[in-house]
Amino acid sequence: METSMWLALTGIAIGTYLIRLLPYLWMKQRLAKQQKEGGISAMPTWLTILGPTMIAAMFGTSLVPIHLDVASWLATAVGMLITFVVWTRTRSMGLPILSGVVAFGIITILF
Amino acid sequence: MTTSIQPLTSAPWKQGVKDAIPLLGGYIPVAISFGLISIQSGFSVFETILISTFIYAGASQFLFVAMAASGAPLWLMVIMTLLINARHIVYGPNLSPYLNEDKRWIPLMHGLTDQIFALAHVRLPQLPDQAQVGWYTGAATLAWFSWIAGTALGAIAGGELTQRWPLINEILPFALPALFFVLIVPRCNNPLWTLTIMVSAVTALILKLLGYPNIAIPLAAMCGAVLYYALKNQRIMRGK
Repeated sequence: METSMWLALTGIAIGTYLIRLLPYLWMKQRLAKQQKEGGISAMPTWLTILGPTMIAAMFGTSLVPIHLDVASWLATAVGMLITFVVWTRTRSMGLPILSGVVAFGIITILF
Repeated sequence: MTTSIQPLTSAPWKQGVKDAIPLLGGYIPVAISFGLISIQSGFSVFETILISTFIYAGASQFLFVAMAASGAPLWLMVIMTLLINARHIVYGPNLSPYLNEDKRWIPLMHGLTDQIFALAHVRLPQLPDQAQVGWYTGAATLAWFSWIAGTALGAIAGGELTQRWPLINEILPFALPALFFVLIVPRCNNPLWTLTIMVSAVTALILKLLGYPNIAIPLAAMCGAVLYYALKNQRIMRGK
């Protein structure tokens, strides 16, 4: 790899890390300042809403199967249904996910 | 979503590792694909592993190697990959109320991927203060190592692996939507949040189907947030 490519790689790595780190440090400082001034330290409301909506959006994008055919959509629907049913019974993470993957796998193999 | 503190039955880092296991189903197949594509794009095994170790962001890594292979200008590669990662801006602030003053959080922010954020956003509020760094270290380290190991595997033997077990790439990634689902479904405990979450998810799905996978997450999340505000304001107006 050429020196310029190494530089680009380093720039992207540092930039990505700073994108993850700096907003965290900013909010930490803001909360500490609010607390110091005697107020209740609270995040802006829009940020508390964006957290769950980001997770919901990740869920939406991850639902799109690799192959956009009927069998893949059917496997996705069955997998999600089984995940939901097992989740309502266990309210845990591991077993619903495992059951969903197994159901998805069975439908994928069968069709 | 429950925010009550739950006692841990094992060491915090072990619990973190256990909670992050479902991520492997999504990380390893994608990392194998990345390793394979990176080698095909002209990078060596060592360079490929370094990219996964230090950039550690799926979509932007794929873009980086694709742009490098096509001979795109370096400044454009840097800008485009950072733009894709810009959605991470909201992750740290969302977690900060749950994180204590421990200095270890600073290097640990390297591991704040989409999936680790989703997991931590739900799990950290349920953990006692003193268990949080340990839990996050366990979860984030497992995810990071699995990404690096998957990349190495893909770079060294990716072609043979995908030929021999083609279903690995098709079945295991379903662990990701299943994981996001169990993380977000407890939030659907009132009509306002249920509708907000459904609209965010459906918008993201449609945007991805329309061919906008990189902008789908931030745009759909913003749509959901706007809807939340609109419905809440309407409710307040009606109350008046």
